[in-house]
Amino acid sequence: MRFVVTVAVCLAAFVGSVGCRVFVPASAEVDSSFPILPGQSREVFTTARPTVAAAVNDFFGRRPIAEQPFDFPHDIHVGKQVACTLCHSGVARGPVAGIPGVSTCMICHRVIAADQPRIQQLTALSEQGIDIAWKRVYGFVPEAHVRFNHAPHIRAEVECATCHGNIGEQGIAQRNVDHSMGFCVNCHNENDASIDCLTCHF
Amino acid sequence: MPQWGMAVDLDRCTGCGGCVVACHAENNISTVGDEQAAVGRAKHWLRIERYWEGDFPDVRLKFRPVMCQQCDNAPCEPVCPTYASHHTDDGLNAQVYNRCIGTRYCANACPYNARFFDFFNPSWDKPLQLQLNPDVSLREVGVMEKCTFCVQRIRAAGTQAKAEERDVADGEIQPACVQSCGARALVFGDLENPSSEVSRLSRSPRGSKLLEDTGAQPSVTYLSRLTQV
Repeated sequence: MRFVVTVAVCLAAFVGSVGCRVFVPASAEVDSSFPILPGQSREVFTTARPTVAAAVNDFFGRRPIAEQPFDFPHDIHVGKQVACTLCHSGVARGPVAGIPGVSTCMICHRVIAADQPRIQQLTALSEQGIDIAWKRVYGFVPEAHVRFNHAPHIRAEVECATCHGNIGEQGIAQRNVDHSMGFCVNCHNENDASIDCLTCHF
Repeated sequence: MPQWGMAVDLDRCTGCGGCVVACHAENNISTVGDEQAAVGRAKHWLRIERYWEGDFPDVRLKFRPVMCQQCDNAPCEPVCPTYASHHTDDGLNAQVYNRCIGTRYCANACPYNARFFDFFNPSWDKPLQLQLNPDVSLREVGVMEKCTFCVQRIRAAGTQAKAEERDVADGEIQPACVQSCGARALVFGDLENPSSEVSRLSRSPRGSKLLEDTGAQPSVTYLSRLTQV
């Protein structure tokens, strides 16, 4: 009897934690009209995961691998001592570091490695005036209510790698570091930065 | 650490409602429609109250913009079970949407009716969603919201001042209502700094606080000519 109760409780806890589709409110259609701010990803506000597999992946910290429309190798560029700020030039000025356009690539690649097939592909895009639709690797969902600003962190001399991992040794950028609130708060505590809620959440 | 406060000169206020509109635009405050507004679910972080003074024919019309008074001894704070409503070091009465579980105790405790509950997810008819301010969160259904003294502008000015290694200048921060006030009835600034305009106005003999006897110690001072009707 005790075993049955234990199993039932575990099952209930599991179902509760993964969030069955049953719990998705009937007003889900209304929720999907929830407007998003420019540049923010669209996710439905619910603590439940869409599928059991998604919940299991989330539990084990497995994330989908970021796929970009164009294979940009970070390792080659960082290996050749190209500074992060050369392409992500907004980082010291304001909230977003920025993802460079093709025109930024062409500053160097008009000359450098111009015979490579991938660079020729890039040159073709540039001549047609088409930009690459990069996908965001990092970012907060609107429901996190986080207002992150890169500039103060750069002024405080936080290394890029502190939050973005060893992206210089990766090919296509992947999400190496989990930007949980604990991660942010630990660093803020260590460096005597403000941990008031209104520092980030407003 | 500055203590942010506001002074409202009621003798200057013409009741035009510019501040209300500016507040809605700046803070992404959604509207709920006629029917829901009729049952008291409308949200206005800043409202203009209208008062008639005197007896006919010697009547006089007075307006009073009322926003969250950012009380020093805020009644909304101790009642919050999740500390979503709390006081910051710079004298702001903060509302943290992530923490809020929507008990609405704070709205019941507030003597100024300055807190508003989100009964619905915000929605705008297309293409009005394009006018949303990206610096301000959209509050989802089930949380409490209120005037923040445009904390996004306070934080932005603070960050900028720190980058330039200086203090925030008096008048540098203007919440949306202050910026839009044609009559310059609203003044925002640091109450700790004795030479700031808001601190000078707050000490004025014309000044009074709203519902002072509740002991909430609001940070907003209302200035009004002393009249004997």
